[in-house]
Amino acid sequence: MSSTRAERRARLEPLLESARSLVDGTSTRGKFARERLVEASGLSRQGVDFALKRCLEANPSEAELSTLLASTPEAPRAQVLLSANVFVAAHRAIALALAAAPLVFVRASRREPAMTELLLDGARGSFELMPELEPRAGDQLWAYGSDETLRDVARKLPPGVSLHAHGTGFGVGVIDGALADTELEAQLARFSEDVALFDQRGCLSPRALLVQGSSERTREVARVLARRLAALEAAIPRGTLQTAELAEIARYRDSAVFCGELFDAGSGFVSVGVEFALPPIGRNVHVFAAAAPARTLASLAEFITVHAVEGKPELRAALAEALPSARSCAFGGMQTPPFDGPVDRRQRRF
Amino acid sequence: MNRNERSDELHAKVQRFARGDQALNFADLAREITEFQREFSPGFARLLVRLGRTPNAIEEIPGVPCDAFRVARVALHAESEDLRCFATSGTTGGARGTHALRRIDTYREVALSFGRRALLADDRSRRVVALAPRLDDPPTSSLGHMMALFMSDFEGSVESEIHSPERWLIGEHGVDLEALERAARDARDADQTLIVLATSFALVALLDALAGRAIAAPARTVIMQTGGFKGKSREIAASELRRAVAESFGIDPRCVVAEYGMTELTSQLYEATLPGSALEAEHHGMPGVYFEPPWLRVVPVDPVGLEPVAPGETGIARIVDLANIDSALAIQTQDRVRRVNGGIELLGRAPGATPRGCSLTIEEFLQARSP
Repeated sequence: MSSTRAERRARLEPLLESARSLVDGTSTRGKFARERLVEASGLSRQGVDFALKRCLEANPSEAELSTLLASTPEAPRAQVLLSANVFVAAHRAIALALAAAPLVFVRASRREPAMTELLLDGARGSFELMPELEPRAGDQLWAYGSDETLRDVARKLPPGVSLHAHGTGFGVGVIDGALADTELEAQLARFSEDVALFDQRGCLSPRALLVQGSSERTREVARVLARRLAALEAAIPRGTLQTAELAEIARYRDSAVFCGELFDAGSGFVSVGVEFALPPIGRNVHVFAAAAPARTLASLAEFITVHAVEGKPELRAALAEALPSARSCAFGGMQTPPFDGPVDRRQRRF
Repeated sequence: MNRNERSDELHAKVQRFARGDQALNFADLAREITEFQREFSPGFARLLVRLGRTPNAIEEIPGVPCDAFRVARVALHAESEDLRCFATSGTTGGARGTHALRRIDTYREVALSFGRRALLADDRSRRVVALAPRLDDPPTSSLGHMMALFMSDFEGSVESEIHSPERWLIGEHGVDLEALERAARDARDADQTLIVLATSFALVALLDALAGRAIAAPARTVIMQTGGFKGKSREIAASELRRAVAESFGIDPRCVVAEYGMTELTSQLYEATLPGSALEAEHHGMPGVYFEPPWLRVVPVDPVGLEPVAPGETGIARIVDLANIDSALAIQTQDRVRRVNGGIELLGRAPGATPRGCSLTIEEFLQARSP
């Protein structure tokens, strides 16, 4: 009783149309969406607008949709368990479920149901919003959340349900320190946008930048990145952070100052060190020199969802080999992966 | 004077201060150590530069976050000069840190000086045991080292006796209940005070092992309880643990004295509850209120701005420990504290942020990477 490709493609259209109507900030729905999302996400108004325009996949290509349909398993019913993800994630998650099944049940994050409700408002009847999910044998379940949540979901799952679990993660940038200064500046301006989107709350958000070059060049890269982040913040201010997040930033900042060097970057900072460190979210990046970035990142493969790279073909090849599950892209493209399936390609077991 | 000569001079001064030398005072010593660490600790010097001024008061000395001990060496001297290197036991955050000491005599001086005031109620003969695993040689646990110091000093025992398995009563199979009961009986028969040094999770393990039974301990038994649970046992509220432990040993709950210390510090804080102890005589402390030794100050600070909070308000503890001469004069913890009745109330670790998004948190990352 499987659907034809055309039927599956048709199921996506109302959702895509709903998403499209949110992108335009001058429309009634677009204005309403911005109000709700500013309140729910903690991002600034400009931050929400930037994210909707840049990251909400309202007009995916037919080639992308074909890949999405081809890579999605079919089922009579599909279920989606959303966490308090970055808000555009709800769109892709529901699209995957619609590609899979004619009956789709979605449980939105209790804390942040806004985007799911907005999408449903524009695509009535496409899916059903549920207070709780009740998956049963034969269902496909897409679940998003922390590793702890996903372990819990996996443990309680009835037999016969296929779980697609997507946990937390982060992105990294890798740059060849030999780039000319003007090119470096341009690349780091694009990287700043990757950082600023969602104030780094996403699993695609870059948190570290590896520089293939000397410590002096690494320091220079950090300085330029800090300047670009500060400049971008003038146009797209950082949103509000929780007190505990600000406390974590203060703690990390002083540790970074004690252990290495730190450049202020608007509300955030860029720390410089000699090895990997994970800074807190809120537009903070750790920059460090790595002679062999692929080797350095291999041990972090389970956490890395995406890497942006600007360098020689050998560097790209080495990174692709070291991080086989991570998406690869150019600087400025980390938060806009093709609409061809889950953004997170790590097939982690829970 | 070179670095070590200056360090030695400061050690001598802090030891004299701990012994009660009235010619010295906290503020002057803190100023001297700040200058010393500014000169020889590039990390601390950078924190001072970021502060943008020379600290004019104890409350202004920037704290080195405990996290720094996990990712960097926090010491003014070279590794080859380490006399002891204490490892943190790890927290729910995962990764472990170390505190390297160039000299151990100041640790001994301050630990004993304040430990005696908090834990000794009279001059009677004593028997000291630890609900802790056997001591490494050399000790890598600052708590283990302190427990060994207490055994030696409080009892006057010789080095070989300290390493006896009859002293360290946590083995492969948990609490050695028989050995504890033997120690209690021997102390009672010899009319000695029994002092049991224990972590919170070891006390929970003891309660579980006793399963409601009591230990026939001497009336003058004192329990020193320290540390959190670190996921090693079920958690029990402090007041309930105190009550249950006191009941098991048949003693006054005030004889269960909590200690607050951490590997990153050289000094410790104690409750002032033990009847007959010098600390109790001075403060008449309530359970849950910890008192600082004269050479240590706790400054509750705002967790975001890291500025001191108003008196009586809750903040996170910045601890200025004059005995941390060769590492970090001030450390910044995540422990929530409030100043009450001349002491410090501990209110648990500051909670982490509620995740809002699918970014990996530092806590999750450290947990996943911990061995």
